[in-house]
Amino acid sequence: MKKKAHRVHIKDFGAEDAVLSPLESADLASLPGEKNLPNFREMKKEVKEKYDFSLDGFSALNLPLPRTKAEEEAIVKGFLSGLEKLFQKENNWAFLLPTMLSNEYCMQCNTCNEACHIFTESGRKDIYRPNYRPEVLRRIIRRYFSKSGKLLRKWAGADIDLNWRVVYHLAELAYRCSICRRCASVCPMGVDNALISRELRKIFSQEMGIAPENVHKSGTIQHLKTGSSTGMSPPAFKDNIEFIEDLIEEKIGRRITIPVDKKGADILLLHNAGEYMAWPENPAAFAILFEAAGINWTLSSEVMGYEGVNYGVWYDDVQFARIAFAQVQAAKNLGVKKIVIGECGHSTKALITIADRVLVGDMAIPREPCLPLLEQFVTSGAIKFDSSKNNFPVTLHDPCNMVRLMGIISPQRTILKHIVAAGQFREMPNAGTSNYCCGGGSGFAIMNSQNFPEWRNNVSSRMKARQVLEAFKDVLDPSIPKYYCAPCSNCKGSARDALIGHFGFKDKYNIIYGGMVELMVNAMVDVSKPFIVWDDEF
Amino acid sequence: MLSFSWLVGGPLIYFAVTLFVVKTISTFVKYSRLPRHLRWDLYPVPHQGPEGSKYQKVDFGQMKPHVSLLDEFKVMGEEMLFIKRIYVNNPRVWAGSFPLHAGLYLGMIWVLVLAVGAVMELNNVPVTASSTSAWATLAYYVTIVAGAAGFISGLFGSLVLLWLRTSDEGLRLMSDPVSYVNLAVMIFLFGTGLVTWLFIDPSFQILRRHMADLLQFSPKTVKEPLIILQMLAACAFLMYLPFSRMMHFIGKYFFYHNIMWDDEMMRRNSPMENDIAAYLQFKMTWAAPHIKKGGSWADQVAEKPKEGDPK
Repeated sequence: MKKKAHRVHIKDFGAEDAVLSPLESADLASLPGEKNLPNFREMKKEVKEKYDFSLDGFSALNLPLPRTKAEEEAIVKGFLSGLEKLFQKENNWAFLLPTMLSNEYCMQCNTCNEACHIFTESGRKDIYRPNYRPEVLRRIIRRYFSKSGKLLRKWAGADIDLNWRVVYHLAELAYRCSICRRCASVCPMGVDNALISRELRKIFSQEMGIAPENVHKSGTIQHLKTGSSTGMSPPAFKDNIEFIEDLIEEKIGRRITIPVDKKGADILLLHNAGEYMAWPENPAAFAILFEAAGINWTLSSEVMGYEGVNYGVWYDDVQFARIAFAQVQAAKNLGVKKIVIGECGHSTKALITIADRVLVGDMAIPREPCLPLLEQFVTSGAIKFDSSKNNFPVTLHDPCNMVRLMGIISPQRTILKHIVAAGQFREMPNAGTSNYCCGGGSGFAIMNSQNFPEWRNNVSSRMKARQVLEAFKDVLDPSIPKYYCAPCSNCKGSARDALIGHFGFKDKYNIIYGGMVELMVNAMVDVSKPFIVWDDEF
Repeated sequence: MLSFSWLVGGPLIYFAVTLFVVKTISTFVKYSRLPRHLRWDLYPVPHQGPEGSKYQKVDFGQMKPHVSLLDEFKVMGEEMLFIKRIYVNNPRVWAGSFPLHAGLYLGMIWVLVLAVGAVMELNNVPVTASSTSAWATLAYYVTIVAGAAGFISGLFGSLVLLWLRTSDEGLRLMSDPVSYVNLAVMIFLFGTGLVTWLFIDPSFQILRRHMADLLQFSPKTVKEPLIILQMLAACAFLMYLPFSRMMHFIGKYFFYHNIMWDDEMMRRNSPMENDIAAYLQFKMTWAAPHIKKGGSWADQVAEKPKEGDPK
């Protein structure tokens, strides 16, 4: 018998329940062939007594429970102060119009609901509806900042009284949305509930100093201090380059000298530094391709010059602007003609489009995504490829940041057409601008606090697992090796942790994941040994 | 003669129309004057045409951006007239939303043709089924068809939405009292229109005559209570609309043109660059530990941050 849905009315958002909307494994929408849905780990009593898990039983933020009335009041006061600043042009000029419009014009038609992978895959939990958290926020704004709300209360849709629980629930709930903006793309009005998640995150970070540790303290703060969110210093970066040169030699039988700090190069290639640490084959493949195509390029070893990520784009405008400026400054110091960003979706969007309107004067140097350039390698004949070398089923993930938010759709498909054996490429359902998030968007892929990874892998990545299974449904037999191509670093992280680590797709179905350039090098006529080796890499 | 019915049929109508126009314009101006925001495009962007995003090209910054107004108008038309996004993504709600909006569009045509007919009659061209002027005959029939179809369609759509909002658990959960007030306003508007047409003024002759009086700024007292109620509903609608989220036609314009489809790039020495340079001098007051107190945006960017203390 179908379980009756547990309704969480908006007015009850600050209820003193131990857990407002507990998520149980039985609630989740099961995948084809998934027999035993995982049981969620029970947190230790001492941890639960110290940190807040009261939204859904998970913690993305490690929020310490307030111990005194004064602490509780400070939480509420800080939130109201930040909320007020969100609607002031001096404090939020960068997103004032979109925020105001999304706050004012939601018609509550719920069209966004079915577009959200987190809502549908969670078993349709009310609190994960994309319009739920904006509606909570709207009612708080009416209650505390509008005359009608103060006077008429619930009759004016202002029925939430703030307490620390409401604030903490909202803080956690802002990190149950991967800001993929699929909801905005179906909204007849254009209301952007994902933006509201981001704006909420800004209140918490910019006013209250609350942000996921991996995103802020060991993310942007570390990035600005050391030069990389991974903590990789310039000497460590140079060591990594040497290692990659060794790797290239091992893989293709000859050594390539990777250009570093080459003044006046045409291109500064900016990778997500996670590639150097976790997937060195990716920068190696870029180097092989760029060398083969005769590109005048370089990497930078300057602090901020070898790390493409900008986690600020997910939660904090100030950190975002600091990083974007510093990255461009590093490129300027080298005197390169343009920056090309490697296979990293959020880096691509952050530096090319979002930063476009903060980079004034001589900071506005050209910045481009890598995929069109890679397409040019294929279509111009600069590099010879033999598609029969990639004679295995391949599906393509469309990273939200590059596809839905930048419209980069055809280059990757043109490349695959040239480098994958005929009949082996298959689109996944909803390919293109309607594609679903990998599950790791907006920082999820790197957030590892408490039991949050369990939520991410089980809920946020579940739709991607479903799409991959659907794409490969006719070749699921593990004797057939299959490649899930994700030209984005965080999406690969999500594939590693969820598809391979959690859902076991490698063991069950012989599906591996990787980027676009690895697949390209694997098909190069001049490379005799396979670049992608199934068993070595997993 | 000063009476309630005269006040409703005369001064209140002028006041409601004026308030609607002033508030609509001021809302539009309010959003237009907000600072430029950072890019937040959402693809596909229709004016880029079949070529698609410029980011699919190497050296896109040196290319003249492709602009296809035809493609943009096509998508705008589909969205404005048929609300295609709801049709595709939420057909149940579309079954109410589309007739409601169609009712509003037909209602606007009805008012316009009613006014045209009134002007004809002021110029001694009778607007009847057997008028000597073919245009007057056309106006006669269009008024009836647009009015009747608009009231029926609008009322049907409003009732479907009310039914959905009360019967669908998800919609009920997300609805605040204002959602129901909005639907009540629409039901009052279309319902009184329909009843008046059915029982009092099937050819809209009484209303056409009253429109002629209004256009001459000499409104007469309306005798029929149902027509007074209809006018009251129309005034309530016009006065309420610009203060409610039903004003979303303005919001939608900005959402589409200024946010989702705004792909304008920063150019050197452009008005955009000047504006942004000025915004970077705004002093921010955000209070988190990693933000420099009292600094401008430009100061923040130049600041070498100290480690914050995220909780």
